[in-house]
Amino acid sequence: MAKAFKYGLKGITGYLEPAERELLRSLIDDVISMLEPAESASEDPLTALIGLDMNVQEPSDRALRRLLPNVTKNDDAASLEFRQLTERSLRENKIGALRAAALGLDTNDVVLSPADARLWSQALNDVRLVLAERLDIRDDADADHVHTMQDWSQAEDVESYLALVYNFTTWLQESLVQAMLQSMESRG
Amino acid sequence: MTLSVALGPDTQESTQTGTVTSTDALTAPDIPWNLVIWNDPVNLMSYVSYVFQSYFGYSEPKANKLMMEVHKKGRSIVAHGSKEQVEQHAVAMHGFGLWATVEKAAGGGKDGGSGKGKGKRG
Repeated sequence: MAKAFKYGLKGITGYLEPAERELLRSLIDDVISMLEPAESASEDPLTALIGLDMNVQEPSDRALRRLLPNVTKNDDAASLEFRQLTERSLRENKIGALRAAALGLDTNDVVLSPADARLWSQALNDVRLVLAERLDIRDDADADHVHTMQDWSQAEDVESYLALVYNFTTWLQESLVQAMLQSMESRG
Repeated sequence: MTLSVALGPDTQESTQTGTVTSTDALTAPDIPWNLVIWNDPVNLMSYVSYVFQSYFGYSEPKANKLMMEVHKKGRSIVAHGSKEQVEQHAVAMHGFGLWATVEKAAGGGKDGGSGKGKGKRG
């Protein structure tokens, strides 16, 4: 079993079993493949260079829309314009955090610097956002329902398996964030 | 903390795109904008508080107060500034996985859907 992250002399440390690392790696890979932008053949190299993407649209997939949300509540045109300017670098930023977290999954003992820990917490958060969409978690009642699934012997179908995976990543992120908050406190 | 910390390797490009945004903003610079964070059932309360503390440099009590406001009221205005400033914050929040939007601080009628009455200062 994994051990909760904690903050100590060596920084933020945790422990994950090989099967847990494998699971996290595959979840991370899934989110990376969702975020990798489709190649567009007729792309202007200059606009690509400065991060513009004039062909971008609001994602149709709910999970992707949650990872890359509109920047205004009620103004679709303004949101789309902002997306053209920023979505590419946001995707790259998220992929960078996910890749950094995956790199840290090579050994059972996980030791994180403050910068690593931030990338890990971002990556785990994105993984959880995607799992939550797949599990149809829309409100706190849904979240509470999913949270009751704690025992791996309850894994009967895809949904219960996903719920258990979601609860594992939630537990892992919570322990990591608690360690990060302690680390911030002790550094003043 | 600064935006560069939140954006990681692509800071340079991101800063530039932020500047591009400003060129078509026909809003007078003194009209304040709000950064709004919306509640969702997934983000951990501890994580939201961590983001407010580490990114905005807010004290723990202030970060927790804003986080509880998001949780209980469904949304909270966590920062003010020029349009470009709050847009930079919004993209950083999206980087952290928080659900952030920008809105004009008060009244202001130009934007399409601002007549909903939710855009008032909190």
